[in-house]
Amino acid sequence: MKLWEVADFSCGDKADVANLSAFPKDEAHWEAFKRELTADKVKAKFGSLVKGTVTRYEYTASKGLNFVCTGALDGGVSISLRVDPHGKSYGDLFGDIDIDI
Amino acid sequence: MTRTIRIGSGGIGAGDRVEPGVTLANSGFVDYMGYDCLAERTLALAQVRKVADPSAGYDERLPKILQLMAGFIGSGGRIAGNFGAANVDAAGSVTADQLRSLGLGGTRIGLIHGDDVLDAVKAADCELPERGCRISDVSDRLISAHAYIGAGPVAACFDDGAQFVIGGRIADPSVWVGAICHALGWPLDDWDRVATATLVGHLLEGGIGRRPGADVSLPLGYPLATVTEDGAVEISKLPGTGGPLNVPMAKLSLAHEIHDPTRYLTPDVVADVAGVWFEQRGDDRVRVHGATGSAPTDTYRVLVGLDLGWKVVGEVSFGGPGCVERARRQADEMRKLLANYADVVDETRYDIHGVDALFEDAYQGGYPADCRLRVASRVLTRDAADEIADVYWRLYGQGGGGVTRMIDRNIGVTPALLPRNAVDIEHEVISA
Repeated sequence: MKLWEVADFSCGDKADVANLSAFPKDEAHWEAFKRELTADKVKAKFGSLVKGTVTRYEYTASKGLNFVCTGALDGGVSISLRVDPHGKSYGDLFGDIDIDI
Repeated sequence: MTRTIRIGSGGIGAGDRVEPGVTLANSGFVDYMGYDCLAERTLALAQVRKVADPSAGYDERLPKILQLMAGFIGSGGRIAGNFGAANVDAAGSVTADQLRSLGLGGTRIGLIHGDDVLDAVKAADCELPERGCRISDVSDRLISAHAYIGAGPVAACFDDGAQFVIGGRIADPSVWVGAICHALGWPLDDWDRVATATLVGHLLEGGIGRRPGADVSLPLGYPLATVTEDGAVEISKLPGTGGPLNVPMAKLSLAHEIHDPTRYLTPDVVADVAGVWFEQRGDDRVRVHGATGSAPTDTYRVLVGLDLGWKVVGEVSFGGPGCVERARRQADEMRKLLANYADVVDETRYDIHGVDALFEDAYQGGYPADCRLRVASRVLTRDAADEIADVYWRLYGQGGGGVTRMIDRNIGVTPALLPRNAVDIEHEVISA
């Protein structure tokens, strides 16, 4: 199953840091999310796009995960040579992650 | 009687559309409006405009916003925003002129100074962690340095009778925090209250209906919050405007551009929003619970603007069978050519994009019917940019068409931290 099928998700940028957040559409999937959606998995998915680290944080009450990726935006929106310097499209790649529910 | 504030979101970023905020202000549903007008790069670019023209460098939408908000202001509505960008004084003067011409002479305008910290970051020789150097290493490239400042001066301007408050780099949520704390009499060191107000500002400045997969109908409405003295918060939007305001959307707004949710750092507070939860209370009405806070850190986050030279971007299209391979051969060709300019080019990247831009429906060979090679280089000087743009003419090589070339300034921003005691924030209230 793909993450986009079972999650509400989004992404954002601050300088050279991107963050990706995912909340299970069905809260019954929360435990599976925590098990399946690891920082290592996100880091592997983004490959060479993320040059720094990926750290995972939890929204305990609203049941969501937030991944903070450093060195993720080719120097940041103002410096990057990429087509999408904000990484606004990162949500599309994030949503393509396989998740076993 | 319990005090209540009804406050709306008028804009959530640089160059945002004005209309949703005007609709909200004129609806009678809000008493206050907040505007976040700045993205990360905005201030550095505004500073460049100000250097070229000392009367420029503020949010150029200001006269239009004032004109459209004249009714709201005339009926006692109050507005705060970081409209000043790099030039709060010029914004104040334009605002005063425009208010008088709208028959609103005498309106009190709050102005906030002190976020321009260029001298202070030089004196402290701040570290620039994302660039792995210090200010003194890039002194010939410095354009600007602005500290994200807090809600204190916003609240102080309202306390002093201002109806229209203009700051520069007021942190996004702090625009709303200042208004909320003023209206509800919340002390700015009541950390749980300030964290609650910060969460409200965060949810309002993120807008609604702008998330992937959102079933958004138009016209998109901007959100408003109702906050009571005892800390109860409800987010809603105008009836008849689009963009669902429901718990899933609120969750995504919560997570928007926050890193560690137990430590959401703003100039006003360290907010813990990891335990925030939402409750649907009706159509497009969501109750918000669970923010707590503690004292802010002893540093301000600063964005330092750097002149990093120029970007040169060129593109060329290839169509039909083998188009991707020809685009790749062209990229190899460009690599060889640009190798001769290694001393002036910092970096070049090559991307191929496209689906059906060349042949409309005439080509029946499947996807991709065409593709477009994009070559982008970073260089330090304008002369080098012109030289590289000349090399880009060679994009016509493997039979491609539609070559474009573009040269742009490369204004970068990079974060730094500055001790609070190195920053002097002041406010004044003037009459239009």
